[in-house]
Amino acid sequence: MSHDVLPGDARVVFEVIRGRRCIREFIDKEVPSEYLRVIVEAGLWAPSGSNLQPREFILVRDKNLLRAVKLVSPGLYGNPSALLIICYNKNTARKGGRLGETMALLDAALSAQNIMLMAYALGVGSCPVMSFNKMAVKEILDIPDYVEPVLMISLGYPKSWPKPPRRKSVEEVLHVDGYGRRAR
Amino acid sequence: MGMGGEQGRSLLWSPYFELLAFLVTSARGLVDEPQVYGPLRLLDAAVKLIDIMEKEGIVTSELKELRRLILEKSNLVMVDERAFIDFLDELSKKIAEIIKKDLENVQTRQEPS
Repeated sequence: MSHDVLPGDARVVFEVIRGRRCIREFIDKEVPSEYLRVIVEAGLWAPSGSNLQPREFILVRDKNLLRAVKLVSPGLYGNPSALLIICYNKNTARKGGRLGETMALLDAALSAQNIMLMAYALGVGSCPVMSFNKMAVKEILDIPDYVEPVLMISLGYPKSWPKPPRRKSVEEVLHVDGYGRRAR
Repeated sequence: MGMGGEQGRSLLWSPYFELLAFLVTSARGLVDEPQVYGPLRLLDAAVKLIDIMEKEGIVTSELKELRRLILEKSNLVMVDERAFIDFLDELSKKIAEIIKKDLENVQTRQEPS
């Protein structure tokens, strides 16, 4: 389907989805507080399993704290002006039964995508980072035992927007009405 | 004694400590991460080491070029693993060339006049 046929809002949404890139080099410019707030709010509007909403967020803006977290985060590239650490509250997640923790992780992932799309729509670059030392980050940021950091999102204005890596085509991954039956 | 270390010196912004923390936390992370992240982290550490050498005024143009290449091509690890491995071979060859050139300089200096 040509994307030109998409109606107004759908086209904008799709352009944002396709335009977002992982940013690993940032310029030295602060992201305004009001932007950061709406970025977090976008994360809250992601679906949540059983509507438990176990997500909690830690925003790091202080330069020394940013540096401290970066020191223990091998997967964090560049010098973002803010870090948003997506966590889940284990006590809340436990209400989801045996699936609680899995749902909490999925909730975090769903929030992360909303956060990165909202950031992109505001001209702010982002990158999800899983390669950080959880124990060290918990120690540095005084995160209690019942809160688990899952994913870190770096936020800042990009030095440039990189070209997208190749994405698999719909035909490669879509099965219609049964596995192995390809879309036409 | 907190982050300040002995004699009130801060480790927080020390490039040596940055490299140290990177190596230790990478070691832990790599236990669970994709195998190919191992070489990636080592290349990141190499860049940090070249940065330190530059600050100390002992970096050469060859090492700067090595750093430029690493920064330019490390992302191959995400898109083309075979090309990433070829790139590691290319870097290893460049290291050998740097060693060979240095060796020749050392030997020239040691020759009796």
